[in-house]
Amino acid sequence: MSNAYLDLLAYFGIGGAHPGGFNLTQSILKDANIKPSESVLDVGCGTGQTSAFLVKRFKCQVTAIDKHPIMIAKAVERFKNDPSTVKVMEGNAECLNFEDDSFDFIIAESVIVFTNIEKTLHELARVLKSDGRLILLEMTAEQNLTEKLQRKVCNLYGIKEILSEDEWRAKLQQAGFTRLEIIDTPSELSPSEVDDINQSDNIKKELFDLLEEHNELINHYRHFIGYRAFKCYF
Amino acid sequence: MNQIYDQCCRFHGRTVRITCNDGRVHVGEITRVNRDMVWIRPTGGLGGYGLGFFGGGFGFRRGFGRGFGFGFGIALGAITGIALASAFFW
Repeated sequence: MSNAYLDLLAYFGIGGAHPGGFNLTQSILKDANIKPSESVLDVGCGTGQTSAFLVKRFKCQVTAIDKHPIMIAKAVERFKNDPSTVKVMEGNAECLNFEDDSFDFIIAESVIVFTNIEKTLHELARVLKSDGRLILLEMTAEQNLTEKLQRKVCNLYGIKEILSEDEWRAKLQQAGFTRLEIIDTPSELSPSEVDDINQSDNIKKELFDLLEEHNELINHYRHFIGYRAFKCYF
Repeated sequence: MNQIYDQCCRFHGRTVRITCNDGRVHVGEITRVNRDMVWIRPTGGLGGYGLGFFGGGFGFRRGFGRGFGFGFGIALGAITGIALASAFFW
């Protein structure tokens, strides 16, 4: 199923397209303590900025997947002259093409919300080793949203639901994660630097309109929707 | 080319990050746009930005505004990417 908002991110080729941007990625991963021998999955890798950082910082074995062919093309382009060991492949978070217990560490930055959340969490739990850890950074309802606002947000971003923090916890527990930590992040939806861009030619006008609609929604409803970063263990 | 022009118009008055085909990056507020050029006034306050102050390479021309001026001009043909310098995305 196509998603215009994800097309927008893909065609504009915006790196660090998640709350907090690349700065937050770096700060979340600062104490991740990933060993060079460990295998890491960057699910919904986008143009691959986080994967590049993971390899540089931890020298670990990174697999980067994304469902969007343009994201994948741009991620491949990022690594084409780089002898780093990032394996980039097209893949669907809801139905991962990996054996059980394949990864020591998984990171999903504003990805799961765009999928069938339960399906994806179960898949991530399946491919994560029993002593592995999962970090996710996802849109979260800050208060009870009216049905109208929910519909507006869901339509704009092509998502099915906006979970509250408690609902995320419940779904993560259902998927088998017993220990959940909230990583401290700035609570505001503040803009972050956009300094990693690989823009496609011929971007459709609709995507520019969508970008404006998105900016407007963020301005209006910043107190209603936020995000959380969870660190999850079995 | 039209796409870059349209984007410059949309972002008029806002602080953008422009990437050029010679690898240069410029950050500043768009002050003027025509079919060939966009003028930006470099913004200083964005920590480590403002590389554009040293323009003068291919595709550059001094702006000709008075007073605060339009900043400096960049040929649209030299631009490979333009985006808001800071934005929020999911």
